[in-house]
Amino acid sequence: MEPYQEEYIANLREIAALSPRRQPSEETLADYTGRLSRDRARQRQLAARNMVLLRENLFPVLDNLPQARPQAMEDLRQFAAALIQGRIELDAALYCQIHQSLLGLARHRRDRDGIIRALYSLGIGRYAQYSKLVGLDLSVSEPYTGQMRLCFVEAAAYLKYFDELEDPDTRGYILRSLANTALGQFRTTSERVGLIKNALRVMQDPAYREREPSLPWDRFVRQTHRLMTASISFSRETAMTAQDVAGIMESVYAVYDLQGSLAARPAFHYYAIEYYCGLDSLEGLLGKIEGLLRSADLTDFSVEGMYAAISLTAFYCQYLQEYPEMLAGREETVEEQYRRVMRYVEEFPPSQESESLFLYLRQLSYTYVETSRSIPYGLFLQKLILRFAPEIYVHSQAVAAAAAALCRQIAQEEPGFFDDIPAVREIGGEQEKLREIQRLALAFGQFHDVGKINFTSLYANNGRQWFEEEYEMSRLHPVTGAKLLADRPSTRPYADAALGHHAWYDGSRGYPAAYRRLECASRQLVDVVALVDWLENVTNTAVLYKGVEKSFDEAVQEAVRLEGRRFSPLLTARLRERQTVELIRSALEQGRRETAAEMFEA
Amino acid sequence: MTIYDFEQTGRDGEMEKNELSAACRELEQKAAALESALRAAEEANQAKSRFLSNMSHDIRTPVNAIVGLTTIGLSHIDEKARVQDCLRKIQTASAHLMSLVNDVLDMSRIDSGRLVISQEEFSLADLIHDIAVIVRPQAAQKRQDLRLDIRDIHEERLVGDPLRLRQILVNIINNAVKYTQEAGCITVSFRQEPVQTSPQGERAALLRFACQDNGMGMSPEFLERIFLPFERVRTSQVSRIEGTGLGMSIVKNLVDGMGGQITVESQEGEGSCFRVELPLPVSAQNRPPLRLPAGQTALVAESRDDRAAQITGCLQEGGLVPMRTASGLEAVTRLTEAQVEDRMPCALLLGQSLSDMQPLDVAAHVRQLAGPDFPIVLVSEEDWAQLEYRASRAGVSAFVPCPLFKSRLLSTLSGLLDGGQGASESRGDRAGDYSRFRALLVEDNELNQEIAVELLGMTGVQVDVAGDGRQAVERFAASPPGCYDLIFMDIQMPVMDGYEAARRIRAMDRPDAQSVWIVAMTANAFVEDVRLSREAGMNEHVSKPVDLDHIQELLSRRLKP
Repeated sequence: MEPYQEEYIANLREIAALSPRRQPSEETLADYTGRLSRDRARQRQLAARNMVLLRENLFPVLDNLPQARPQAMEDLRQFAAALIQGRIELDAALYCQIHQSLLGLARHRRDRDGIIRALYSLGIGRYAQYSKLVGLDLSVSEPYTGQMRLCFVEAAAYLKYFDELEDPDTRGYILRSLANTALGQFRTTSERVGLIKNALRVMQDPAYREREPSLPWDRFVRQTHRLMTASISFSRETAMTAQDVAGIMESVYAVYDLQGSLAARPAFHYYAIEYYCGLDSLEGLLGKIEGLLRSADLTDFSVEGMYAAISLTAFYCQYLQEYPEMLAGREETVEEQYRRVMRYVEEFPPSQESESLFLYLRQLSYTYVETSRSIPYGLFLQKLILRFAPEIYVHSQAVAAAAAALCRQIAQEEPGFFDDIPAVREIGGEQEKLREIQRLALAFGQFHDVGKINFTSLYANNGRQWFEEEYEMSRLHPVTGAKLLADRPSTRPYADAALGHHAWYDGSRGYPAAYRRLECASRQLVDVVALVDWLENVTNTAVLYKGVEKSFDEAVQEAVRLEGRRFSPLLTARLRERQTVELIRSALEQGRRETAAEMFEA
Repeated sequence: MTIYDFEQTGRDGEMEKNELSAACRELEQKAAALESALRAAEEANQAKSRFLSNMSHDIRTPVNAIVGLTTIGLSHIDEKARVQDCLRKIQTASAHLMSLVNDVLDMSRIDSGRLVISQEEFSLADLIHDIAVIVRPQAAQKRQDLRLDIRDIHEERLVGDPLRLRQILVNIINNAVKYTQEAGCITVSFRQEPVQTSPQGERAALLRFACQDNGMGMSPEFLERIFLPFERVRTSQVSRIEGTGLGMSIVKNLVDGMGGQITVESQEGEGSCFRVELPLPVSAQNRPPLRLPAGQTALVAESRDDRAAQITGCLQEGGLVPMRTASGLEAVTRLTEAQVEDRMPCALLLGQSLSDMQPLDVAAHVRQLAGPDFPIVLVSEEDWAQLEYRASRAGVSAFVPCPLFKSRLLSTLSGLLDGGQGASESRGDRAGDYSRFRALLVEDNELNQEIAVELLGMTGVQVDVAGDGRQAVERFAASPPGCYDLIFMDIQMPVMDGYEAARRIRAMDRPDAQSVWIVAMTANAFVEDVRLSREAGMNEHVSKPVDLDHIQELLSRRLKP
């Protein structure tokens, strides 16, 4: 690699190592907040340096790729390889950008090996991008899975020319692409199962093996069987045909024969497929999963350990979600399991954090089952954000504090201001009403960015400004958050905050289109959160992702300029009063300070 | 008095009696006629009274809405979004009011014989497409399955009054939508009888239109009066349905005026079927010849069998050999193989739906796979205006709207395959002659200059080159206003960078300083870069290396060849 590439990677690693956790030493609160502030400055410094490295070194190379020396091309490939190392994802978007350029060059040169290799790599990069969307509706994730799958399919189409290609690596890329076409979400299970069956047919065909004996065929077959067994994770039994079940069962048995019942993953797949073919009841399956959950080793932080502790819990709860009648008598198991998972997550060594962990946690958050004594869902989400994206947590708490302060002021001066919210309108007593408004404002602030949980790697450990496609993806967080909140009764009242906080007041711009302000009973409260969130963002956090940075006074002036377009004129009118501006500023600062103290105590 | 006199008197009396009874009969007949006329007049009067009563109700409804919404808007004048919502609703109510008034005016023109039916050339394809665009959203709102079935169209260039034709057909379909329940089914079919040539050599074709629904239907009594003015179905089910009751009467008069026939069959509770037959002369104007590579394959990707059959049928009639797939993945596999084996199909026709992914995602990938010149045609029922930006960015070469017409599909393909020389009717067609446009290319790297000049040259655009930002500013300042249609601006350049150059161009005091389209070209893809280029006054941002596809897409959006 070239020195700038090594420096870029080192900077990303240094950013990832900056921890908001309290050091075990005798660190005081003042030391701790000082360190947080220094870490934050360091992250900004490293991110700025990374942008210089890319602007001055990488982008000119990509601009003139056809003229790049062979060594520079090799360095570029190595650099890209260092950006996604297995499950450790340092910079997936940059990885994709480099491979997109390499693919363009290979197409231009009609270099078949180069095309296949770049397609495979680009597919892998897109898979890393797509995995952030797990849990979202297919309509949202389909364009991303489509882009990924098209890369693999095009590479796999070269199977027909297997004999003409001499490079064993290229042949390997074709076979791996063939299996990878089955990654991600599908409209039907049959489609997925069909693709995997096709890959298995090729990989088990002796004719192909004879043509390239140097390839690790058995490993390919094993991995493809594993891919097939994961179909259980994607499919409900009603969505599978008898042929699908038979295809999956064959792979489940193959994997089970290799690994036995000791590992939780093959064991679960084995039990599940027995249930799907009617050899076991749901009651029986749930009992067996409970056994696996009990025997999970909570000190095992490997991928398989994470699966046993987190992912299996998610599957267990998914069954209970789909068959709520099965929850009766299992509440305590569920409650205890969530407590175990949270302990496991708290103790997770930062050095071993990977995309698999985030993937399983997303799975857990989408299948969460609330019981009377389980950790409330909202708290569960907040804990995850605090643990893996502390800056978002601090931001949300600061916005909550400022929203509550501003709402209090408004409600005192105009008691009917929030009466469009039925729960507020029905309250008779003035003080009681004020308390309810403040409670709602706090919750709206705390939960408005909860959708970012899907995109932790976009926010936490960010080592440079976003690219356009990352910005596009980040814009999915309101829909993601609203879905998470709306799916559970305890958090449903706050879903509007997540959905509407990036919409413009006049509807002319902003996102998502799904938010219709005039149809939203909580719109006045959402307006408050939208304003305060924006003020906090442009003065504190957006600099890292979008290169936007304003002083608080500049931000206030800009908000006033956007009066009636982006922000409610009823709110921006208040920004003309110095007292209100100071109220918001101090509430935001205090919110950040208190959250740091809370994190210190935690 | 003599006997004679008496006899005479008797004869006279007989005569008088006869005359009297004749007069009586006449009187009776007249009385009956009068009574019938009276009844008719009373009925007409009652119909007019009903009409007046309905009209006052119907007019009052939107007027009330306008008055009420104006009040609400005024009382929330500080809430822009609320005011906007009120204005939007006022707009809808006004449009409805306008349609009521138009109906009354039309009927009055018909009554007074002042209705003129024009004779002009029109495209049946355009007419049906326009109708579909108008009626589809209303049917979609009621989740109705509105099917357009077009077969046996022999001649598309016809002569008639397209505005009045549209009025007839939209009116009938709108009625079907109105009187059919939610999630109901409406089938609209268009057929043409083979063209007949008169002894004078004039060619005409009988257009058969039918609109069948499974809605509420009509009673036999109402069926008899359906084409009378001021009549409309009155049942509790449709108390909310508004209209003047003139629509069908206007339709009947228009059809009569065009020398056609309209019939209706209906069964209460089961649905109605309106049939219209219109003789329409065929345009004498010749169509430009199609230039299609006979015997070449074209790949059709569409998951719905009926839509795919329509596309493949048209291609076969054009002498092409269609290959069909329902899946985007399979389309990419086939194209990859075809490319390797050097037997690429002449085009990819992407339908509206695929079994596994969105058509535009496939288009974007195929554009990369197959290169900038490969024709990708989108055939879709969706509104092009809604799709255009995404489709162009995905690399779609042309758009053919549905309902699908053979002539439109084939002429679009002909235009694309003939290097833009053919007669493409496509709205999204990108191939074209840009030789009357001039671009300023600002780029410091000589090799990049060479490549960009070459690419721009391939589109026909005339290119001037500036080696840095300062040169660009000087060149623009020295050029006459309107000289440049586009400026392609590199960002990182010595002497003066692209941001500064764009700012200075925008700050000039000349009429085109604000309007000239400036495109930033850079591999710097950070959101900040995009923002900075916008803040500097540039209109858009394309990533380097810029390829022909990018440039063509951009030219097609900005310039009209």
